Amino acid sequence: MEELKYVGHSAVRVDGKEKVTGAAVYTDDLEFGPDLLYAEIVEGPHAHAMIRAIDTSEAMKVPGVICVVTGQDFPYNFGLYMKDRFIFAQDRVRFFGEQIAAVVARTPQAAKKAARLVQVNYSPLPKVVCPLEALREGADLIHPDLKHYEHVPWFFPKPGTNVAHHRKVRKGDVEQGFAKADYILEDTYEVPRYAHCAIEYHAAVAKYDHSGRLTVWASSQSPHTQRNLFANALAPLGIKHNDVRVIAPHVGGGFGSKAGVTMEIIAAAIATRVKGHPVKVLWNREREFYNTYQRLGVVAKLKLGVKSDGRITALHHSLFWDAGAYVEYGANVVNAVGLSAIGPYRVDNASIDSYCIYTNLPPGGPYRGFGYSEFLFGLESHMERIAKHLGIDPVDMRRRNAIRAGDLTAYGAKMNPNGLHQAIDAVAKEIRWHETPSPSGPDMAIGKGFSLFWKAPAMPPNTSSSCFLKFNEDASINLLVSGMDLGQGFLTVMAQIAAEILSVPVSKIRTENPDTDRNPYEWQTVASHVTWGCGNAVKRAALDAREQIFSLVARAHDLPKDLLYLEDEVVKCKERPGFALPLKDFVIYGIQMEDGTFKGGPIMGRGMFMPEYASTKADPETSQGGHPNVHYTVGAAAVIIEIDRQTGRVRVKKVVEAVDCGKAINPKLVEGQITGGILQGISTVLYEEMKFDHRGKMLNPNFTDYKIPTALDIPDEVIPLIIEVPEPDGPYGARGMGEHTMLPVAPMIANAIEDALGIRMKSMPITAEKICLALTGSKKQPEK
Amino acid sequence: MAIPFEFAYEKPATIADALHLLDKWGSNARILAGGTDLANELKQGFRVPELLVDIKGLNALEKIKVLDDALHIGALATFDMVRNSQPVRDHVYILYEVAGLVASSGVRNRATVVGNICSAVACMDSAAPLLVHDAVVHTASLEGEREVPVQDWFVDNRKTLVGEKEMVSHVSIPLPKIKYAGAYQKMMRYTGEDLAAANVGVLLMEDGACRVAFGSVGPIPRRSPEIESFLEKNGVNARNIEQAKEMIGGIISPITDVRATREYRMHMTKVMFVRAMHAAVERLEKQKR
Amino acid sequence: MKKISFTLNGELRQVDVAPNEILLEVLRYKMGVKSPKCGCDTGDCGACTVILNGKAVRSCLIFAIEINGQEILTLEGLSKDGLTPLQKALMDRNAFQCGYCAPGMILSVTCLISGNPHPSEEEIKESIAGNLCRCTGYQPVIDAIRQITKKQ
Repeated sequence: MEELKYVGHSAVRVDGKEKVTGAAVYTDDLEFGPDLLYAEIVEGPHAHAMIRAIDTSEAMKVPGVICVVTGQDFPYNFGLYMKDRFIFAQDRVRFFGEQIAAVVARTPQAAKKAARLVQVNYSPLPKVVCPLEALREGADLIHPDLKHYEHVPWFFPKPGTNVAHHRKVRKGDVEQGFAKADYILEDTYEVPRYAHCAIEYHAAVAKYDHSGRLTVWASSQSPHTQRNLFANALAPLGIKHNDVRVIAPHVGGGFGSKAGVTMEIIAAAIATRVKGHPVKVLWNREREFYNTYQRLGVVAKLKLGVKSDGRITALHHSLFWDAGAYVEYGANVVNAVGLSAIGPYRVDNASIDSYCIYTNLPPGGPYRGFGYSEFLFGLESHMERIAKHLGIDPVDMRRRNAIRAGDLTAYGAKMNPNGLHQAIDAVAKEIRWHETPSPSGPDMAIGKGFSLFWKAPAMPPNTSSSCFLKFNEDASINLLVSGMDLGQGFLTVMAQIAAEILSVPVSKIRTENPDTDRNPYEWQTVASHVTWGCGNAVKRAALDAREQIFSLVARAHDLPKDLLYLEDEVVKCKERPGFALPLKDFVIYGIQMEDGTFKGGPIMGRGMFMPEYASTKADPETSQGGHPNVHYTVGAAAVIIEIDRQTGRVRVKKVVEAVDCGKAINPKLVEGQITGGILQGISTVLYEEMKFDHRGKMLNPNFTDYKIPTALDIPDEVIPLIIEVPEPDGPYGARGMGEHTMLPVAPMIANAIEDALGIRMKSMPITAEKICLALTGSKKQPEK
Repeated sequence: MAIPFEFAYEKPATIADALHLLDKWGSNARILAGGTDLANELKQGFRVPELLVDIKGLNALEKIKVLDDALHIGALATFDMVRNSQPVRDHVYILYEVAGLVASSGVRNRATVVGNICSAVACMDSAAPLLVHDAVVHTASLEGEREVPVQDWFVDNRKTLVGEKEMVSHVSIPLPKIKYAGAYQKMMRYTGEDLAAANVGVLLMEDGACRVAFGSVGPIPRRSPEIESFLEKNGVNARNIEQAKEMIGGIISPITDVRATREYRMHMTKVMFVRAMHAAVERLEKQKR
Repeated sequence: MKKISFTLNGELRQVDVAPNEILLEVLRYKMGVKSPKCGCDTGDCGACTVILNGKAVRSCLIFAIEINGQEILTLEGLSKDGLTPLQKALMDRNAFQCGYCAPGMILSVTCLISGNPHPSEEEIKESIAGNLCRCTGYQPVIDAIRQITKKQ
């Protein structure tokens, strides 16, 4: 294989200088001039209620107020996978803090003041906040109209209940599998809701001009999906896709929260009522917590049967998801987990039931890991417990069951090539699995934990990415893509791929976050798919450009095309050592012939990618028959922790994580994802805890009481390990790894806690308080 | 982000001017020093003053100094100044310790010790060290000056003895003539910035005197004469510290809130008490050597 | 409204402010200085950090009217004459991801190393402990700071 000059090297981020100088522009940094209007939201103070009447007359009297809009102005539903959501609540409020109306005013102060004067008359309804209660016969229905909602064909809602989707997997013969087991462990694990906590708020500014053009500037992971959903939802107003333009500046962190459409549609809708004016909707920290998406909560009942040597004979996994008030996006989390809840293991006999359940809590939606952190907490806890019960080393137990290329997944497709076994070995070696470190003092207990992980991109089978590549006069390049750089380094990686094909250094490639009018289509930047999907599109666009370059040079200089190659921005010929034609001489102006005419013209590459083998067509009773997931990314991780027995405080001393990213196009960025993902994972298990009161109101929607880690709360040591077993259809073999890095953290810490203290924690988070009370409380019931 | 109501602002050049403003506006005025609590209180509408009296022009209030066997902390002394003050480190080590645990450096560069005890939020950090050191709060008004022992200062959560027309000029911490050592323990959800879910301050003296204060486990921070007299009578040693720890259950009555349960607060207060006592014992031994 | 004047990034500027206006808002929306960001509005996240008279402070907890006659430095000012060694190390090591916390983080560290050119690991962590970052896990940032502050 020829040596790679740009791919596989840690190029400096293309947006690095912008970000260290403050030049990077985020949505709220944009200027819109003195005509900018401000919208303030009126929130519902009930988790579940009918709206009887809305009186806006007092609000309208506040000087500076332009208008007040309510659900009646926009009787449209929308959603990514299921249209169950509304721009403003219609007749019913379904979670505490839901948007009921908005006041538009000349100043934020006037809008805020007037919003308090909007009078809303409610009749409260019984609320359902527990998914298991929501399932009960006769439970109050949160969406009585469920049967009317449009949804993707791979969802199976149960109208007349609170079940919005049931993903059902049946593989092999589960009954017989359990019959063959020497040991069966059955237990329930609980993982609560979490918040993304990107430091930048959601922000959207929209302008509907007098020509009928709707432009939305938004902090977004999904510019094209937003355009699509805005155009679809606002179609009754005569708005078409080419009327809508979404411009996405830098994003101050996403983690899933800025995927799909949430508050942005409020700006888009309001703009249609204040034609000609830009209108800004800026969220605040509190709303970041309770009115975007939250990570779904889950109650997972897991039954696993094994032979005495640890080999899995059967698995039954029932997952009851607290999906919240609207599940237009969250239901696909439930679906993804349903397809994958066997974990990275070879399981011949499996049954999985993953239920998406409406509750009167904030909408559940995409969050880094897309449900896999949640089910892996139980599954990887279970693996450790079974190993200990059987007297098998937990790492060996995993080796014996770890999935290999060609094994069948839960839905019957073949597992892709992967380095799971290499990852297990590399982690065990680096953490010194067989050594037992000693605690630092008499009150201290030390423990080790291990966990595997896997995750596939969850996306429609026809998800696509595309790229335009255009040369400039000096052979610098503008690379137009519509994936978003959320911080992961996507744009840098795309530039590296183009650089590799075209021999143009990364520093000469400009690639920026998109404008849907100018940049070609991309589904969304979610699912850890863009390095793979958009990377393929970029590679194809660069190859297309290269093909044009070679064709032109061959034609103009009468050289055999297949002997041409590129080196340091110069076209060379294998059989004519003296031939050297710099790109800058012709990529715009063409090549002059002897007669004075020119051949060629601007070189523009185009490329697109869609995984043409993917399909969601399968038997709904078993999920067998389709190929819903394009591939899985796998890895392993281990941790050493020390616990203060008196306080319950956990100190993370060392974390090792190996992830098989196929090919690290930029190793430093891969390591950055590992370091960051691990801390986010640690935070969910040790620190973060969402609290709600009896009304369903979140009690700690702020960083004062919802604790995300500071620089003083990081592990003493993090060792990232990169495994590279190429993905056959990935660019240079690459597959995604951004979300994956946080997946193993919660179970491996729970395993380490058991190793240290002999206490098995089966619900998250595992705060110092919980550990301490478990230690000091009744010694008889450490199991819960 | 916007504060949805209006108010006036004055920045007096002299203490007399400041006191005149307070005299005129009374409870409608609010003193602005570091402002880190006040800005949040106004944003959230906890307080709706009509006038802010910015006292940062009163340079005399800034000083940290030793005067007449007492350490003076002026109303403008920030936690950062306290943290970096050699006299504080030499004489009131526990306050140095506290200053390193208040919020984060960006807040400590602005927030003041006096502001902390005037906001008087139950979870404040400064109370425990001041309580165990028998500090005195010095106030001023047109009526004259007052000295209030810090033991009496706190009335309720967010409520102190400061008069409507009064301001605090400084606190003074008497420095014992004999050797002494203190220690502070703060219950936090992690190592980074956090409000105290409970805190404990202790001070031991060469002559056997012992002072213990508990914070954030009731509406106001308080000393514990029960534990103090027990240890003074029986002596400070490992066994008696353990016994004293068992008394805590009858002394404090923490609540369950968003930060911690009652049970964990109680347990942690005991753990922190023991740890603070042992640290203080060790420090005192070091002093004696 | 009161006219205040203060030095902003080395330039004497004047602006009319009402007493209830917060410094962060005035810098961003009246002075066009956008590097200080809002991430919580309660002083917890540090994204709004600016250097006021040499000290890193939270501009979301300061009334704009308070800074009459004072001196403020933001990341725009720090970057005027090219990258500082700190900025360069952070850039070269790809230390930041989304970059939203970067202005506050860089100013906090700038404030630390101006008075303490060779801080300890704990001092480095302490100096940025009030700047929340959700992306990086902090270690790459700390490594970059260590690179430029270790004793040669």
